[in-house]
Amino acid sequence: MKKLTILFLLLNAALFPQDIKENINRAIQSCFGKDIQVQYEKVKIEQNLKKEIETKVSQKFFSDEIYFYKIFNDKSLKGFALLDNVYGKSLPITFIVMFDTNGKILCSEIIKYREPYGGAIQSKEWNSQFIGKDDNSEFAVGKDITGISGATISVHSVTIGIKKLSILIKSLLKK
Amino acid sequence: MKTIFLLSVTFLLTQSLFAQEFDFFEPKTTIGGYGELHYNNEKIGDAPSKAIWDFHRFVLFFGYSWSEKWSFKSEVELEHNFVKNGQGELELEQAYVNYHHSDLFGFNVGIILPSIGLINEFHEPPLFFGTERPVYHNLIIPTTWFGSGASIYGNYNGFDYKLTLFETLNSDKFSLSQGIRPGRMKGFKPDASRFLYSVRLDYLNFPGLKIGGSFSFNNAKGDSTSIDITITEFHAKYDANNLTAVFEFGNINYNSGELRASRGYYFDLGYNIASIPDWNSKIIPFVRYSDINTAAETLSGGNSEKLYHFTEWMIGLSIKPIEQIVFKLDYSERTRKSDDRKSKFLNLGVGYMF
Repeated sequence: MKKLTILFLLLNAALFPQDIKENINRAIQSCFGKDIQVQYEKVKIEQNLKKEIETKVSQKFFSDEIYFYKIFNDKSLKGFALLDNVYGKSLPITFIVMFDTNGKILCSEIIKYREPYGGAIQSKEWNSQFIGKDDNSEFAVGKDITGISGATISVHSVTIGIKKLSILIKSLLKK
Repeated sequence: MKTIFLLSVTFLLTQSLFAQEFDFFEPKTTIGGYGELHYNNEKIGDAPSKAIWDFHRFVLFFGYSWSEKWSFKSEVELEHNFVKNGQGELELEQAYVNYHHSDLFGFNVGIILPSIGLINEFHEPPLFFGTERPVYHNLIIPTTWFGSGASIYGNYNGFDYKLTLFETLNSDKFSLSQGIRPGRMKGFKPDASRFLYSVRLDYLNFPGLKIGGSFSFNNAKGDSTSIDITITEFHAKYDANNLTAVFEFGNINYNSGELRASRGYYFDLGYNIASIPDWNSKIIPFVRYSDINTAAETLSGGNSEKLYHFTEWMIGLSIKPIEQIVFKLDYSERTRKSDDRKSKFLNLGVGYMF
């Protein structure tokens, strides 16, 4: 029975790889370290705030809900993470941004990229450009963010997506 | 029996939970496009100057994603606004089914663009300097080069590869003045007994830089000729810190006939001066130097290798109020090497992409 269960779970995992979930855990741990506890909830973005942010950055939210993670180490709050999606040329790009307790970006990662072109956007080198930015930063491709040749649309979408989350986290912190 | 039942329930429950929680994909139709209107004024040698308006390209993209892995992409293009008596063109430039397995591996098959040079696959007007595409991308690497084929692509640790099996060129049409350009079959009933084989490798993990090259082989054939060709090209583009620098070099060898090699290179250098007063728009003056010889080596040799050799200086301006819209202005002087004949070009343009 035990053997059968293990075989079954392996088969289950192989057929439907939970790559998004695994990538989220890996991204949070690589940013905050392994010795952490994570609380997670789906947060509904308040309508007025949603509209205000969308107008400010000229990009819509992927949905009304956002994935909000609180990261603790020995019961002390270390920071936050927000998981969201933006559209590339035609498919969603799933990404996560990790913040310190003041809403400054600590790390950002592409969790899942689905487009055939522009995969280089997942590189550590490109994502490291966002470290230290917050809601007051410019987030302008070609100025404070370097583009990627062949990934123009994805680079713009993700950059604005990260800007959106930097503004949103400040509102979530006030609550 | 009970065990199997329990496992099945667990399986279904866990799958639907995992699937729902992080399943962001929805089947979706995508529409996009680009276009460019040009004013071209040219003065060739001592002939009087000639000026025209030309809505050079109007392009619509249609795509559909059935799943995260399977999608369809297409690009239909109207050139020169009107089609009549061999003037203007209506083209299906892309129409392929794409399977994207992972970053490491995907493939597509249909009407595709071979991955040769910087511009053939990424040819929207805001992405290059100059109203017209660089002359290198007309005479050495003939863009837009499209046709029937299949490719395998992927990305690993910043290395981006593509292997392409593509329709053959028609060797009867190769010319001293235009190299392989007239030999493109454009997906119109090409000879399926032979292929162009192409491999391209780029490195992308240095922010702002794309550097790479490609090698292609085709045993091209027409009704009266059969010519093996190889295309070797190197490309690099740096676009960061308000600086844009581009360099491309290409060489084509032909194993029989009068034409034995076509060769050319160009470089661009531009700087976004709007960054000095910290404006959000981009104002980029640039300079380009091109050296093109479509008949760099011939069977006859001697002076015949100078007839189609020219160099060109261009100065210009790209103004981008937003990233997807560009206004262009450029002036260039072309010098033919054989007799020092000078040609002058003044171009204006507006382009967009979405």
